[in-house]
Amino acid sequence: MNELAIRTEQLTRRFGALTAVDSVDLRVKAGQFFGFLGPNGAGKSTTIKMLTGLLAPTSGRMELLGLDFQYNPIEAKRQIGVVPEGMGLFERLTGSEYLHFVGRMYGLDGPTTEKRTAELLEFMQLADREKTLIADYSHGMQKKLALAAAVIHGPRILFLDEPFEGVDALAAGALKALLGRMTARGVTIFLTSHVLEIVERLCSHVAIIHQGRLVAQGSLEELRAGIPGAEGEKKTLEQIFLSIVGQSGAEQSRLEELTWLT
Amino acid sequence: MADVIRMPGVMEQLRLVAGLRWNLLKNGLQRKNNRWDLIGIILAAAGSAVMVVALCVAFYVGAYFFLTKGRATWMSLLYWAIFLWWQAVPILVAGFGANFEFRKLLRFPLSLRAFYILGLGYGFADFAAVSSICWIASMVVATAVGRARLLPVMMVGSALFILVNVTLERLIGSWLEKIFANRRARELLVGLFVLSMVSMNFLNPALQHWGDHGTRPGIFLLVPYLSWLPSSLTGNALEAASGGDSQALLLRIGGLVSWLAATSGLLWLRYKSQYMGEELSESGAPSAIRRRARRQAASSSLAGFLPPPVAGVMRKEFHYLTRNGFSFITLIVPPVMVMFFSMQFAGSHSQLKEHGLSPQTFFPAVMAYLILILLSPAYNSFAFEGRGIQSYFMAPVRMRDILVGKNLFLVCVVMVELVISLGVLIWRIGFPGFPLFFSTIAAAAFAVMGQLTIANWSALSFPKKMEIGKMKGQRNSGVAVWTAFGVQILIGGIATVVLLAGRWFGNAWLPVVLFAGLTAAALGGYVASLDPLSILAERKKELLIETLCR
Repeated sequence: MNELAIRTEQLTRRFGALTAVDSVDLRVKAGQFFGFLGPNGAGKSTTIKMLTGLLAPTSGRMELLGLDFQYNPIEAKRQIGVVPEGMGLFERLTGSEYLHFVGRMYGLDGPTTEKRTAELLEFMQLADREKTLIADYSHGMQKKLALAAAVIHGPRILFLDEPFEGVDALAAGALKALLGRMTARGVTIFLTSHVLEIVERLCSHVAIIHQGRLVAQGSLEELRAGIPGAEGEKKTLEQIFLSIVGQSGAEQSRLEELTWLT
Repeated sequence: MADVIRMPGVMEQLRLVAGLRWNLLKNGLQRKNNRWDLIGIILAAAGSAVMVVALCVAFYVGAYFFLTKGRATWMSLLYWAIFLWWQAVPILVAGFGANFEFRKLLRFPLSLRAFYILGLGYGFADFAAVSSICWIASMVVATAVGRARLLPVMMVGSALFILVNVTLERLIGSWLEKIFANRRARELLVGLFVLSMVSMNFLNPALQHWGDHGTRPGIFLLVPYLSWLPSSLTGNALEAASGGDSQALLLRIGGLVSWLAATSGLLWLRYKSQYMGEELSESGAPSAIRRRARRQAASSSLAGFLPPPVAGVMRKEFHYLTRNGFSFITLIVPPVMVMFFSMQFAGSHSQLKEHGLSPQTFFPAVMAYLILILLSPAYNSFAFEGRGIQSYFMAPVRMRDILVGKNLFLVCVVMVELVISLGVLIWRIGFPGFPLFFSTIAAAAFAVMGQLTIANWSALSFPKKMEIGKMKGQRNSGVAVWTAFGVQILIGGIATVVLLAGRWFGNAWLPVVLFAGLTAAALGGYVASLDPLSILAERKKELLIETLCR
């Protein structure tokens, strides 16, 4: 499958004098489980917000499944599901009401929405809380609900901003299995997470953004091959990440300064 | 072993907390919008200072008069005024919101004693306490000038009164914090508060109707019992000292000491349970999963003929209305107020007696009032969305669908309210005749349609976040308020001219025709505005998301 699910050209976003995302060219093929990494403040969430229509780019282009976002925003949004930063939930609805609302917003008919709502609540282990207001959910339960809302319309691209944060191990395992099956069916998953072990386990391809610029992009093997190291040594994603963002070894010297603590 | 060399003393901790609060204020003002708040704060502070100083003079004069004219017992009244102010203002200022700031200090290694003293420090630092202490100080000065012999008793009594007040205020605040931590309790109390405010309007008509003007109000029966409360005890201690009755004086001072012991002890227990880790959070922990038969939610037949996004928004608006105590009560208020107005100004019990308003005047006036109340929220219709606003921009819908859904729901609500209020009006003051009845209905239709376009523009351009179950800071942006005000005056003016045109031309049905034409024009304008408003929403989405997700 060589179709590009996500393609950006010179995507840029400025906030006054600050350039949060600077001329980013992303290429994500359909069906890829794609990890988007970067240190805090690197521009990950800003990029996701632009790709999902929550933020207008200052310049540049972006296409989702060949649809130019600028000219076909509605059609592009129909293809995607999003778990945004902050989750974007209506806290005064119950879980089932919220899923129903989202289903209708994506144009699903009533019976389909009801059926999928019930199935998703069951899968996310929220069925016993279907009448509880979202405001009364724990953080992890809200995260699961946000994920259920992101998939209710069967999206072809799924954007997940820290999807496993606060989710218990049991549910996280089920979610990972679900996401794995979705990619097998050709759904593209665009994931950001600070937990590099999760990204390494799930993602086949990775991009790294640093200070607003895309500094690496490719499969894990390609990234491994691009950094120096002993032959035959299999670098972890954490080592790759630290090497690329230029922090490798820096923490050691900083640690030396904390003599009162170390 | 942690490298803590020494524990900071209570005074140092107080200084640190004061510095923390100052930095929070200073940093908060760095935001552009907050500079306007700073101007507002300076103006409010100046106004408050003038009020406090003016009342200092009043308390001085009052105390001087009572003490020099041999009416020391009346000092209780001054203490009662201070007591009510001190206890009520912090509750109103807190605005029914849980304030966890003080409790956050618990993550630091404070002793229970330090936590208690810090709590009292917070109590002495609020506006009600500072102003009350100023007024008491002015009464002490009046005593020193007027009857210096009473100064020692005045100082001891006032000191005890201050300590009782500060501990009681902290105790009430701490209990309210515990109650308001529960969302449902918070919303219920806000609802009851609003309802009680509305109910007060009926006191006068009720007294007019049922009151027995020859008897003293029943509240006076409570006076003997009030004498054992701190305000009366302090005043009566002064009276006893003035009359040289040392036994009565000791009894009153003993009473104040008992109050102080009780409030301090209870406050200690409250702070102790907070210190020991009292849980105020209301988030439910994930529970064990109970499998149960899948229940299909009743399939909604709501507006089945509407596009799914519009129907979805309407259904969501309905859920939000039923869960927002404040909004829900605003639905009860209009018919209730119609009832109130009809009792006050029209019908057989009119306050205006033989000049009571006729149905011909009253009908349009009350309908205008209803539209004024019911349409106001539309000028900030995204206020309660919170983070959910992102859903609108992530979904494959245009803002026009969302606006139509919201507006349709509002129109339904307005229709229901108008029908109920019309029923109340006809019951109370009679039917105004068909021409005026239909003119008023047509005028209401024009007023609603005429406002929706501008209201949508205002909601997108000047959003202001509001939170359900809170009263503090729950107001629309100033621009939205003035926009609504201006539009409503304009529409009111047009409607008045149209209604008067019917009289000038001697054709009672003319306003109906004119309003129908105006409504059609307003509807056309509304439909034409939807696409431009969708474009505006795209331009304003960052403002909306930032404002409402904050």
